[in-house]
Formats: sequence, structure tokens, C-alpha cells
Amino acid sequence: MTMDGGTLLHSLNLVYELATLALTTLGLAVVFGLLGVMNMAHGEFVMIGAYSVVAVQQWGLPTIAAFPLAIAVCAALGWVVERWLIRPLYRRPFDTLLATWALAMLMRKVVEAIWGKGFRNVDNALTVAVPIGDTSYPAYRLGLIALAIVLLAALSFWYRRSSAGLRVRAMTGNPILAQALGIDTQRLASRTFVVGVVFAGAAGVMLAPLIRVEPGIGVDYLLDGFFVLVVGGLGTLGGFAGGVGVIGGSQALVSSIAGQTSGYAVVLIISILFLWLKPDGIFSRR
Amino acid sequence: MRRLRGRSLWPAAALAAALVALPLVGNDFLAYQVALFLIYGIATQGVALCWGRLGFLPLGHALFFGLGAYLAGGTAKAGVAQPLWWLAFPLALLLPALLAWVVARLVFARRMRSGPYFSLITLAMTMLGFLAAQQWTGLTGGFNGMGDIPEPPGLERFSTLYWLVAAAAVASTAALGVLVGRPLGVLWRAIAQNEERLQLFGYATDRIKANAYALSALLAAGAGALFATHQGIVTPQAMSFVLATEFVIWAAVGGKASPLGALLGAVIVGYASAELRDHFATWEVFVGLLFIAVVRFLPEGLSGLAGMKVLRAARPRLAPVPAPPARAPRQVPALVYDNVRSSQGGVRILDGLSFRLEGPGIRAVIGPNGAGKTSAFNVLTGHLPVIGGRILAGGRDVTGQAAWRVARMGVGRKLQVPSVFAELTVRENLCVALWAGRLNAPAALRNAPHAWHTPLLDEMLGCFPELAASLDEPAGRLSQGHRQALEFVMTVLPEPHLLLLDEPCAGLSPAETHQMIQVIQRAVRRLNAAALLIEHDLAAVAALQGEVYVFHQGRMLAQGSLQAMQADVAVRAVYAGARK
Repeated sequence: MTMDGGTLLHSLNLVYELATLALTTLGLAVVFGLLGVMNMAHGEFVMIGAYSVVAVQQWGLPTIAAFPLAIAVCAALGWVVERWLIRPLYRRPFDTLLATWALAMLMRKVVEAIWGKGFRNVDNALTVAVPIGDTSYPAYRLGLIALAIVLLAALSFWYRRSSAGLRVRAMTGNPILAQALGIDTQRLASRTFVVGVVFAGAAGVMLAPLIRVEPGIGVDYLLDGFFVLVVGGLGTLGGFAGGVGVIGGSQALVSSIAGQTSGYAVVLIISILFLWLKPDGIFSRR
Repeated sequence: MRRLRGRSLWPAAALAAALVALPLVGNDFLAYQVALFLIYGIATQGVALCWGRLGFLPLGHALFFGLGAYLAGGTAKAGVAQPLWWLAFPLALLLPALLAWVVARLVFARRMRSGPYFSLITLAMTMLGFLAAQQWTGLTGGFNGMGDIPEPPGLERFSTLYWLVAAAAVASTAALGVLVGRPLGVLWRAIAQNEERLQLFGYATDRIKANAYALSALLAAGAGALFATHQGIVTPQAMSFVLATEFVIWAAVGGKASPLGALLGAVIVGYASAELRDHFATWEVFVGLLFIAVVRFLPEGLSGLAGMKVLRAARPRLAPVPAPPARAPRQVPALVYDNVRSSQGGVRILDGLSFRLEGPGIRAVIGPNGAGKTSAFNVLTGHLPVIGGRILAGGRDVTGQAAWRVARMGVGRKLQVPSVFAELTVRENLCVALWAGRLNAPAALRNAPHAWHTPLLDEMLGCFPELAASLDEPAGRLSQGHRQALEFVMTVLPEPHLLLLDEPCAGLSPAETHQMIQVIQRAVRRLNAAALLIEHDLAAVAALQGEVYVFHQGRMLAQGSLQAMQADVAVRAVYAGARK
């Protein structure tokens, strides 16, 4: 990439990085933040989303068909996983963590068995660049940024204002009381989990044209996602945005100064410090 | 004693026999291949120690494995030129262990239930280590690895080195097998079950956890050092996320509660994977399914299925020996609450609580729900933040101190919901309490403390014959009443001189209540202690015959004899619901 756009290009890149981070983390924020399930297979749902683009292009279908495919696959898989793997293990955090980790492994291996270990690039039809000021920026990336903002706003609105959001909050706050009030927490938890992994899958579809699609990509999304949630704390949009800002921002900043590896190292160090000193997030009072 | 050792050593003995037979039945190459997974198995035992025994999961043990491998490899290479370098070889094991200890001390000292956070920290540290190993090419050889690591003097990589690895695997299995039966091993299991209870006895659980984590890192680093000499090359893969994951999988599949199970998990799953990976494309899908099935249905892994758990109830009786004297101070620590305020989630819980307690005797604490009775205990034992005022015990400011520090000043606490170590036997529960303040580091590694007795223990068991009759039952199987009795006995065993008893008669029948009150009076007299006892049942309070403290809305409302309190206008107003 040339440095010609100056500051504008830089800030657009930064916003783009933050938007992708927000997109891939959103599903985890729902599952981990609302259900308290440390879903170690989160990144693999993103990966499945990306591979559904590979699949539809292989079958000669239009790329947009990857959306329904990813949503269907992730929703079905998420429902089964929640029902048979996670539901029996609520309140056993380590076991949930391990079970989903095992699931992640399984998903990777299945994808490897079908498409092989190598990476695949997917074709991107939307390579048009949009002129902005005295520079230009890929339309696809701009669309992604807009989508991330819309999704965040919609999710936050739904969580705060809708009655389903209220029920979810009741369940998160006190599951037993929620049950006593006639809320079917099992069904609600199942739906919440499905929504979370569908978000992850959809993020994977959107990112597919921009990344190297390979079976092992999930881990990075998972860890970045966890770090965002650790830094930001759970359950608030402000915290989520703060976490995305701190993790994505410091990674982008340090990477541009001292290289990709240093950027990643700084993210790890920030995360360790937060896990150690402020595990409830940046806005916690403790 | 010999019989005892034999029991905890049989897994190691069986392993030794199998490992001696292996090169004879198979060949040197098979032995060479198996040695690699024995090495991984030793590191897996470290993971299983933390996870299966102490209940926290180290997700990043490859960090210590890799550090041990790089340090050992570097030292061995330097030793070729200058043999003095071999003197530094132990550091390859000790430095990773030291790092683990420092990290665990820092993390665990901050909060008790840091479980999943600790796991993620170790994971992030491993990823940092992996980055460092890749970047510091000058030291580590970067992506291509540190090669040409020499064999240890006198050993040949493809034949005799096997025996060193086999000996190390047998040694670690034997050492862990012995340790888990010792008092330290009992404390490890107690931490996994109820760390808070252990702190209330005065155990610095964060230190016990840090030491255990350092031990597990030592195992991993030792395995790493063997790995370096076995492979002759160390690449960043030895410090990778993937390897850390595999340690956890092997421990889960083999059995996290059993040292031998964890080792065999690594050997069998690891070796089978290495062999079958190339023949069956779906092999790893199968391993994934196996792992899921184990986590879901076999929490103790395959060794739990095979009944390979270390025998614990079968511990033979040792002749009782008198326990050493308790270290707790010998007189009642004067307790002063000076305008103590506490709140949580915006709710004022204690609102300027002040009182002064000196000298032995029982004081009953009464007051309506929400008066701050239990909270008054909680601020003393560090369970609630103090936002104003201070608390003195024995003349020292203990405001905001950790539970175990307060306990060491001679403060014993019984919790409102009887809190025992459900999966330990009644006998082990009593031991854990008796050891508090008496067990020093060398004693924690010996068998003798299992046989410790004190006159108070015998007297208390005499008072509660039903406990004496179920010494070898898991405490979780006791009824509510017996659990209350057990926790009370446990509370007095460290011989504290200030007892905080939170509704010791809750859930008891009138007869049991009567019995409990008598035992409490007896124990308090015997220890010449002071007791603060929360009680709702005024008949029980009357039976106690001590001074009564009435709490209301986070403050001391009145204090005096029960008769005086029953006559007190303010107290009557609170209980009868008059306007205040």
C-alpha cells in the first residue's frame, strides 16, 4: 500500500481494522458476555463462514449465497453444540472451555479433511475503489465499516430496548429467578448461543475476500476477541467499543511503527496486564 | 510405613516394568520413538497436577517446556566448548520454575478465584514466548531452531538415552504418586474443593498454589531439557500454542487426577497420532471426537474408567501421635470495631459498627435479617471491603487483611452454610483443620501428620459420636446436622482464641441444638476463648447465658444481658416492628 493518502488513508485503515475486530468479536461478546460460555470454538465459526464462501464459489454459485449457507450451517451446528455439549456443562467453566476447544479442533480437522491444509484466496467481485477527498478507498472495506457500525447499533438497541433483550438480561443476572418468573432460560440460552455463532459465521463470510482462508485462522480471532472482552469488560456497548479501541488501536499503532510482530506482542502484554490487574475490564471500579 | 509406600508406588513400579520390557520386546527405534512421548508425558503430568489436583488449568505449559528445552540446549552446546557450562545445567530447570512461581504469586495473590483468567494469562504468555523464540534469532536460531545440541555425556541418542528418559518418567510418576498421599497432597485437593474454607484456617492458599505451579513448571522444564537432548534441535514449536493444547488434551484423555494416567495419555494418544496420522486422513477427526467424549462423559479420563485413581480411603491406620502445639496466639485477641462501614453494589451494609470485645466468654449476636451480623464477620475475614473505620485484633490493625492472615492471629470462623471439603473423608477434613498452624513445610511431605491427635480432637469426637463413626466417609455424604458438627469441630481444632460462629445451630433439631450449644460452651471453656455467635433462636441464646449484642441496620443497637435486651425499648421496637 502506498503512503499517498496521508492521514486520511491511515485513519481509514485504522477504522477498518477496528471494524473487522468488532465484527469478529461481536459473536463472542454475545456468547461469552451474556451466557458466560468461554467458547473456544468461536474462531472456528468465523472460519466456517469464510469457507462457505470457498464452497459457494466452488459450486459456481454467486458469492452472496455464502450468507445463507454460513448462517444455516452455523445455526444448525450451534444449536446441536449448545444442546449436547454446552448445556450439560454450564457451571463447569473449565469443562466448557475444554469441550469447546475440542469442538474447535474437530471443526478444523473436518475442514482440513475436506479442503486440505493449504490456504485459499477467494475471488472478490467488489474491488471498486471509491474516491474520498484526494485519495480513494476500496468500496468493500467501506461497506464493511458501515455494516459493523449498523450491526453494533442494532444489537445494542435490541439488547437495551426489546423484550427479548430484557429476558436475556434477566437470565444473565439471575437464571434461577428468571426461570421462576416463567422465562424458558434453556431455550433462551440456546437461541443466544445460536445468534452468537451466526454472527461469527457472518463475519467470516464478510472477511473471506480480504484474508487468507485456511483452517487455522480461528485461533487469532478467538484470542483477539477474548482480549477485547477482557479489556472492555462484559455486557456493555461502551466497554466493547473501549476494548476494540484499546486492542485494535494499539495493535495498529505499534504495527505501523515497529512491525506486525511487535504489534501482536504489545496486544499480548496489554491483555496479560488486564487479566492480571483489571479482569473485569477497563470501566470496572475495582 | 513400608506398606504405605508400596501402595502409592505401585503405578510407578508397573510403569518401570513396562518400560524395561519395551526395548526387549520391541527394538531400539521403537524405544526412541516412545521416549519422545514419555518426555511429553512428564510435562503432561505437570498440567495434570495443577488441573486434576489443585483445580486450576494451565493452558500454556509449553512455555516452560520450551524454556527448559532452549536453556538446556544452549547450555549443552556451550558445554562442548567449555565443560564448566554443564554446571549451569540445573538452571535450565530452575529458571522456568522460578518464572512460574513469580507469575503465580503475582496473579494468585490478587484474587482467589482467578481460575479462567489465570489460564488465559498462561496462554498469552506462551504466545509471547513463541513470538520471542521466533524473533530472537541470535539466541534461539529463530524459525529454523537451535540445532546441533549434543548428547548428554556418556549417552547415545538412539539407544542409551532411552534409559535416562524412562528413569525420569518413572521418577516423576513415583514422586507425584507419593506426594498426593502426603499432607501436601490433601491440601492440594482441599484447595480445588473449597479454597475459601482453607484460607479461614490460616493457610496461605495463594502460596500453596504458586508452589504447586512452580513444581509443575519444573516437570515441564525437565521434560523440555530431555526433549532438547533427545531431538538434538529445538524449534519454536516446542513453545507453541499447539503443544500447550496437546498437553491439556493428553491430560484430559489419560486422566487428570492420576500421574500415571496423564503420562500414558501422552504416550498412547501421542504415539498413536504420530503413527496413524499418515495412514488415516480422518484420524485427527477421531482424536477430536475422543476428546469431546472424554470431556463430556469421563471427567476423570480413561484412567478414571480403569479405576486407576490413587487409592486414598485405603490408607492404613497409623498409631496416633500427639500433634505439635498450635502456633496461634495463646490468649484472646482483643477485637475492636471502630466505626466500621461497608457497602456493596451501592447498598450500605455496615453503617458505623463499633464495639469492643475483650476476654473470654460467649457473646450472642442477634438482630433482624439484614442487620449486618454476617457482614460484621465478613469484613473481618476480608470477604467484604471496608470503606470506612478500622478493625483491630490483638492490638493490630487488620482492616482489609486477607482471610488467612486474620486466621493466623487466632481467629476461627464457622460459615453460615456449613462448609466442608465434600470430596475429602471426614478424617481428612479433620486433619486439614488440625494441621492449620501446626504443619510446617517438612511435615507437609511426611506421613506422620495423618496420625496427629490432640486432646481437643478426641474430646470433640467424643461429643459427636456420629462423626467418629463415619471417619472414612466423604464429608459430602453427611447430613446437614453432621456437617454443622464437622465444621464446628474443624473450626476449633486449630485452637483459635476468638471464634466467629455463624448460626451453628441452623437446620438442627431441638435436641441437636441443645447438644451443639453444650459442645460450644465446652470448647470455648476448654480453649479459654471468646466466641461471637450469631443466632436467631432466642431459646438457644438464653441457653448460652452470655452477653447479647443486638445489631440493627449495620450498627450496634444495644448490648447487655438477654433479660436487659428483652426489656430494652429500642430492641423491642426493632423486633416488634414499631416505628423507629
